[in-house]
Amino acid sequence: MAQILVVDDSSTVRNEVGDFLQKNGFTVAMAIDGRDGLVKLKADPAIKLVVCDVNMPNMDGLTMAEKVRSELNNSTVSIVMLTTENSPVMKERGKAAGIKGWIVKPFKGDAVLPSFKKLVGI
Amino acid sequence: MTDQTKIVSKVLVLDTNTSCLEAIKGFCDSNGLVGLKVQPGNVMAVLRSNLDLGAILLSEMYADNGDCGIQLARKIHTLRSELPIFLRREGIDGLDGIDELDRPLISAAYTVESITKLRAVMDEFIFSRSYPNALLRGITEISIPALESQFKSINVDVEAPYLVRDRLIFGEIFTLIPLESSWCRGYMMLQTEEASLIQLVENGRTFVDPADAHEFRHLNGLLGEITNLIWGAIKNRYLSSVRGETYLSQVPIIVNNSHRYISFGSENPQLCFKYIISDRDDATVRPLVIQQKFIFNLSWSPEDFSENVTSADELVSSGELEFF
Repeated sequence: MAQILVVDDSSTVRNEVGDFLQKNGFTVAMAIDGRDGLVKLKADPAIKLVVCDVNMPNMDGLTMAEKVRSELNNSTVSIVMLTTENSPVMKERGKAAGIKGWIVKPFKGDAVLPSFKKLVGI
Repeated sequence: MTDQTKIVSKVLVLDTNTSCLEAIKGFCDSNGLVGLKVQPGNVMAVLRSNLDLGAILLSEMYADNGDCGIQLARKIHTLRSELPIFLRREGIDGLDGIDELDRPLISAAYTVESITKLRAVMDEFIFSRSYPNALLRGITEISIPALESQFKSINVDVEAPYLVRDRLIFGEIFTLIPLESSWCRGYMMLQTEEASLIQLVENGRTFVDPADAHEFRHLNGLLGEITNLIWGAIKNRYLSSVRGETYLSQVPIIVNNSHRYISFGSENPQLCFKYIISDRDDATVRPLVIQQKFIFNLSWSPEDFSENVTSADELVSSGELEFF
């Protein structure tokens, strides 16, 4: 049972973000791409927040976000993109998919911690 | 801090004539060239190593392991055919007297009295492209914070940008990522040495668990994420969308592992930056060198270069959550 799912093809980012969240009291699950993210999310209904990269192999993060709503019919989980992308077009696509927010890498844990707590409900 | 808009290139100077060396040094100093001298007997070993060269200034009288002048040029050409050879001659300002079969080995011949004519030749072979100053500055402005975000308690130094014609791969790990826009198409490549990276991981200077320092996939992942961070920021700032063309050309990238050689199918020099990452608290750790190379082999139209404009309202600092 995890509260936050971190989806990133980079093990460095998964380590960085996962370690930070665990040190701050969250339970964390990891996925290596969008396809894996869908599987993990489906298997664990306790997940409240997904922190997801955009550019990943097999399935990108925006497609995953769209499928969370359309295929998993999960309209409650919060999705935040953590990515190097900053294009308005991509953000619009993310908004349309119902994501809650956008973080441009690099990850700065302290800057987002209060928001993550709020999104998880603690 | 070095001037990040002044591009230089390293040339190997194979010459022992003291008075000529002075003239060559003066020419190099005033033309953006960094001359590197080699002790006779070591030329081939140096050429096999990684020196990021732009050209070779060879004296017809220079001898190395019994090879002199054109004989040596033949060997150099066999080993590193991508490097232009400029031959200094005594009293003959041209290729007269050199066998027709050997002339293609020499990109230009000069005498010490006519050395200034090499300026135009250098422009043709090395400084053949102009790079927007904003791009040169921006690359390091983007890359240094990206490096600092992935390494803890380190200092990052960067050398002046330089151009290379060689195609040797530095270190054991490299990444490649495409750069696609309306004004350029090509690749960014990061290259580094595994041993230095392992040391920084072992010292807890990265987000990789020190226990995994010898697991090469984690090292790959670290360089991959650095590449991703730099690429993303360059894309956001400089790379506008690709033209509405239905056909975009591609060429094979060829890697020869036994020669540590990579070719992008283009003769143009590569734009390079060298970052030196030092452990701030442990001077015994060998600095990590990351070479960043830009290969605009598919298209290059710097006249169309522009920075992507973002309004102040749209601007959100990296690392902060922008709520929708």
